[in-house]
Amino acid sequence: MKKRYPHKTRVLLVNITRLGDMLQATPTIAGIKMENPDCHITVLVEKQFAEVCKVIPNIDEIVGIDLNFVVRSISREKDGIIDAYEYMTEMVESLRGKKFDYCLNMSSSGYTALLLNLIGIKRNGGWTSDEEGYRVIESDWARLFATSVFHQNRQYNSLNLVDVFRASADVDIHPRNLLINVEQPSLDHCETLIHEAQFTNTGPLIAIQAGASQGKRQWNPKQFVTLITNLIEKHNARVVLTGAAKEKPIIDPIVEGCASRNVVSVAGKTSVPQLAAMLKMSDVLVTGDTGPMHISVAVGTPVVSMFLASAYGFETGPYSEGNLVLQPVIGCGPCNPNKPCSKPDCHDTISPELVAHLAISRAKGDVFEVASHLADPRGVVVYRSTFDEFGFIDLVPINGQPQDPCARHRVAYRKLWLEDLGGFPVQYTPKTSGLAVVDHGLEGLSQIGECAIHGQKLMDTLVQLVKDNRTTSGQLKSSNEEIAELDRRIEELGFNYGHFGALTRMFIFAKENLQGSDAVDLASQMKSIYCDLERRCQKFAVFYAGA
Amino acid sequence: MGRTTTTALEKLAAQMRTDWDRRVGHDYRFWMGEGHLDDAQIWKTGEQDLATVVEGMQGTSSCTALEIGCGVGRLLKSASSRFAKVIGFDVSRLAVDKARQLLGPNPSIELVVGSGVSLDPVESSSVDFVWSFGALASMPVPVIASYLAEIKRVLRASGSARLQVYLGQELLVHESDTLHLRSFTRENFAKAVALAGLKVTRCDEQTIADDGTADLGIVNCLISIAQTDEPASNVEAVAQALLPAGESTEVNPAALEAWMALNYAEMLADEGNANKARQAVEYVFTHCQSATVDTKDLLERVLAKSDAIEKKETRETSASDDERIFLRNVEVLKERFPVVYERVLATKDAISRDISVKHSKDGPTLWSGSTCLDHAEKPQAAAEAWVRRSLQESRFAGAKHILIVGFGGGYHVEAALKQTITPVSCAEADVALFTAALKARDLRDALTRVQSLLVGDEVSHASLGGNAELLIRPQVAVLDSRFIERAKSSTYSKRGLSQLHPKIAVLGPLQGGTLPIAQYTTAALQRIGQRVRGIDVSGFNDGYMLFEKFLVGEPRRLLMRSQYCEVISNTILEALAEKPVDILICMAQAPITAKALTELRNRGVVTVLWFVEDYLRFTYWRHMAKYYDFVFTIQKGECLEQIRAAGAGEVHYLPTACDPMFHQPLKLSGDEKARWGSPISFVGAGYHNRQQMFASMAQYPFRIWGSEWPTGRPFDRLVQDDSRRVSPEEYIKVFNATDINLNLHSSSERDGVDPSGDFINPRTFELAGCGAFQLCDERSLLPELFEVGKEIITFSNMSELRQKIDHYRTHPEERSAVCEAARARVIKEHTYEHRLEQMLSTIYASKYEMLRQREQSSPWAEMIRRADGDTELKERCERAYARGEEPALDGLIADIVTGQGKLSETEQKLLFMHHVRSQIIRMTREESGLKK
Repeated sequence: MKKRYPHKTRVLLVNITRLGDMLQATPTIAGIKMENPDCHITVLVEKQFAEVCKVIPNIDEIVGIDLNFVVRSISREKDGIIDAYEYMTEMVESLRGKKFDYCLNMSSSGYTALLLNLIGIKRNGGWTSDEEGYRVIESDWARLFATSVFHQNRQYNSLNLVDVFRASADVDIHPRNLLINVEQPSLDHCETLIHEAQFTNTGPLIAIQAGASQGKRQWNPKQFVTLITNLIEKHNARVVLTGAAKEKPIIDPIVEGCASRNVVSVAGKTSVPQLAAMLKMSDVLVTGDTGPMHISVAVGTPVVSMFLASAYGFETGPYSEGNLVLQPVIGCGPCNPNKPCSKPDCHDTISPELVAHLAISRAKGDVFEVASHLADPRGVVVYRSTFDEFGFIDLVPINGQPQDPCARHRVAYRKLWLEDLGGFPVQYTPKTSGLAVVDHGLEGLSQIGECAIHGQKLMDTLVQLVKDNRTTSGQLKSSNEEIAELDRRIEELGFNYGHFGALTRMFIFAKENLQGSDAVDLASQMKSIYCDLERRCQKFAVFYAGA
Repeated sequence: MGRTTTTALEKLAAQMRTDWDRRVGHDYRFWMGEGHLDDAQIWKTGEQDLATVVEGMQGTSSCTALEIGCGVGRLLKSASSRFAKVIGFDVSRLAVDKARQLLGPNPSIELVVGSGVSLDPVESSSVDFVWSFGALASMPVPVIASYLAEIKRVLRASGSARLQVYLGQELLVHESDTLHLRSFTRENFAKAVALAGLKVTRCDEQTIADDGTADLGIVNCLISIAQTDEPASNVEAVAQALLPAGESTEVNPAALEAWMALNYAEMLADEGNANKARQAVEYVFTHCQSATVDTKDLLERVLAKSDAIEKKETRETSASDDERIFLRNVEVLKERFPVVYERVLATKDAISRDISVKHSKDGPTLWSGSTCLDHAEKPQAAAEAWVRRSLQESRFAGAKHILIVGFGGGYHVEAALKQTITPVSCAEADVALFTAALKARDLRDALTRVQSLLVGDEVSHASLGGNAELLIRPQVAVLDSRFIERAKSSTYSKRGLSQLHPKIAVLGPLQGGTLPIAQYTTAALQRIGQRVRGIDVSGFNDGYMLFEKFLVGEPRRLLMRSQYCEVISNTILEALAEKPVDILICMAQAPITAKALTELRNRGVVTVLWFVEDYLRFTYWRHMAKYYDFVFTIQKGECLEQIRAAGAGEVHYLPTACDPMFHQPLKLSGDEKARWGSPISFVGAGYHNRQQMFASMAQYPFRIWGSEWPTGRPFDRLVQDDSRRVSPEEYIKVFNATDINLNLHSSSERDGVDPSGDFINPRTFELAGCGAFQLCDERSLLPELFEVGKEIITFSNMSELRQKIDHYRTHPEERSAVCEAARARVIKEHTYEHRLEQMLSTIYASKYEMLRQREQSSPWAEMIRRADGDTELKERCERAYARGEEPALDGLIADIVTGQGKLSETEQKLLFMHHVRSQIIRMTREESGLKK
């Protein structure tokens, strides 16, 4: 794998706000340690997560930043602003004193970027900012991360963000699952909870995480009742409903609806380490795209996960071998994470019976196939998670071939990025090659490629103009305007032909991250960006043809 | 030698100042003028000594020179003809004051009351030559060391210095002694000079016959010094080198001073000058009580001589006690405050009234009628207690000057001089009272030591240096409140402009001619650097006008309009709660209720009404004036009295003006001239007198612009654009494009020119600002604003108007001359900047202390205090404050622009905070939205 900074000694990982994000970073953290055994790793997290982060292995130091204090102080206005400022000054000084030689910030927030510039870490793999306050993304993989989560491009991406994050940090060798420590006291606590439940069934212990972070991702509680009833009555299962105390308004009606001794709620009764223990003791977890899903994967318990609404299995699916992912096939999915939905039709594509079947099957062992009469691939695709030859996780459909118009692009993009950014020897069987391919799926590609070639010529002209001392400012202005117009055209092509949005977005990010002020050097950097675009267009056509 | 801290150094400097102020106050000629009896000899010896100092120096005529310890300027006068510029430094304020008086105005001499340890504010490397003659030798060693370091700093690389010192045997002197000569070994002096980053280039020994130095084993030397490339060591090291053993702890500093003063007294007595001899003896009694018995014989001799003379004087003059006290006092007065002296002498025999002197056990007390100006029984103790209590107020903590208002018997002046080292001055309005005090008590010490003395009706702020804190005697508030107003005004108004930064809101009306005045006012406040917020409520006017459409009956309209205004007023109140202000300036017709004004005053806001309307025509001030702390009017006389009587806090005259950024000569295109121009124009509403007068002008090429004009003949051909209201942007084009603009002030009652018209409308100033020619009707207040006939042409009736129109139409060059003169006058005196400075000066005169306290306890003040350790953050806070931002993060980052160059660390931290807040608020909103 191509690496920018293979050697690291003092690493700062910025992962400020969410436990799920932190869990998804565990293969990267472990990988850094595996490749740099003497490396010291510090994570910077929001203060309230600092305690929870202690369950994450391979971290040498956790620094908590109290953002709530900052916001509270600012809201107080007046001298509260000075309080916040003084706190920030102390925090920056303290972090500077730790003399990090590498930083990985995968939060795209403006404040983390500014913070890193203040700390002044020279080498980094994620977001930072330049001295004028603009956000900077130096690494191609980090740009791909930003490109992939750009909503228009999401459905064309098949690289899990865990892997993109890992590649941003140049980590090749890595564990093939997420990681979390489970301690015996937590296991004892859960043992007691299960004992107290006094289940009458003796079958598999199935954990169900009914709550979700967003209303539109929340499967109807009635469906859960049907599912649980099915599991208890038909499969002798014991069911544990997990969740936080705040999720009780969802969970309690489910328990009441089931009216069975074989279902118990532990919502609000488990800390994060205890939840991990409970999931470890379970045979399978049924869940949406949630934090508990990642914990379950980390403790080695397989999951059956429903990726509803904005959730997208390829992007944030369970990171270990053999999990089952249900992705509804619906014109509007995956939808925009930032928009609500008043009519979540995607929920109806998944039946409780199917979920019960998958849960029981997975509790018994690995599942490689699902009969299409149980799960019609036109309504929902059931995927099995697996790793490819380069150690990147992928999803393979197991209920027949989906009629997914994006599937071929996904395959082509996956190969393109692994080959172009990672330097992996991607195998393909070309059916045809080159830009001459006439295919609806390639519409727009040749135009983008032509723009890229034209851009290179403009750069050659620009260099000549800069070097020639007879050049007038008017000529330079005219040249710059032509370049700006071309870039605008490339961006528009990306919008017009959405399936190439990722190519043009990568181009835009690269142009936004030009560094330096020497005109000839800048022109050289820009030419290289047009070259990248042209090369990627050509490669995409080849991989698409072979997909 | 112990380490001399900055505070210790400052104490030594304070001691020097106290000592030398005292000596100069006693007799500058003796203590600083080489013992001579008249000023001519001061200059003569000064010239001789300067010749010694600059001996052999060539080409000094373009040089800047500086003297350390210039005293009353003995050498400066002569030096000013040798150097391009001479700067005289002395630690004694009284000496520098005296030097100013003696030297008179001289552009090549700059006098500075120094801190006593540094040469601030002289810039580094800016001086060619530094000298000190007869000064350094009596300064404490740490002070000399400090001055050596300062000489290093201020001298140019090619510069030099000559210092007169004593070298040879070390003479040990007490550290606080500012009179005895100090002497150093030659080696130590050279070493100290080297440690200061300088080098000794020459040493000239001065031989002065019988000066006694030879007996002491010391030599009077003039040391020539040059700059080196070496940096200066710290002052402690220089002082240590100069006198390694440190200064003595034993010598009695008062002995020499007593001895010198008594010798002087004896000389004076021998000359028959008993008064001055007595003063010298009293000086010893007052200031040299710790003198040793060495002076006893001398003292007895002087007293004997002095008594003999006094007995003789008593026999000769048979003057009464109070006459004698008076004569002693006025002698000091004559010396120090000749203007006051003249004033006292002029009125001394005219004392009548009900001024009396009564005796208490502490001394005489002064009475004005039944009011005792001092404490009736214990004037001295009470004065001391009062001064002590007063000086504890925070405003005196950093005061540079204290002005006591009211002299009374002088007890509190003496107490203040005793209790503070801050210079003290005194102002007394009543010359008769002051004269009575001069007769009642021996005030020579107080008169010697006060910095300034203002007696009479005038209180000149400028003479006090503009930085005094007032200490007002409560009795004066009873006897003469107007005098206090004047004292406050002269002290605080200008200082307020430069030192206060209140947040000022300007509230305009819903509509009408005052609306643009509100805008000009806001803009002018911004231009004079005030923190201002314009509150434009004109958008509410559309709603206000709708009542006319919906309601026919006037009572219903009035009721609804009143309720509507209540809503607007409450909105303003809420807006000012969100973003508080310190001063609210309401323009005439501003829609704010009495309730809102009361609430604002309860919040500590100063309420101001600028009533730019005719008070006789718009009378709502009758019930609103009492809700304003200040009302400014465009009329005088009866207007001021009536509004005062209606309960307004203060009422002052303040005419309108022009906004030179807006009312200015325009370059108009041919089309614009055709559209807006005419040989004769008038802009304004069709009031009765205008209709009546202009109806007879149809034969002229005349255009009328504005609303409310009749549509019938002859106006159908005169009035433009269907008699619509023209905007300010439009009417300045009319002004500029017209040969003769008519300006007839409105009247709803009179025909033509109102013979009793007083106020000046804004149009008068605006036309002048545009450089446009106007014929204006006569107004009683016009001549004090414009020179009639030169800067403005007036008419008093129709026939004069016709005559002047005919004349000026054919004399464009005369029109140009008037326009030019009028424009120059308004730019100089009649802009809104001038008016607002005047308005704020008036407000600060009585609200300075309140506004300052409000400012000091404001959130910004607290933020700036807290940011003190971070220069950039502090400056950013100060800038945001000056811009008038609210004390919140948004205010602090308002001027940070990304992509405009490198962000500083402070900017990045603040932006970080901003992004954190935005992101967390956004996340919270999204999560709560998506949860549903």
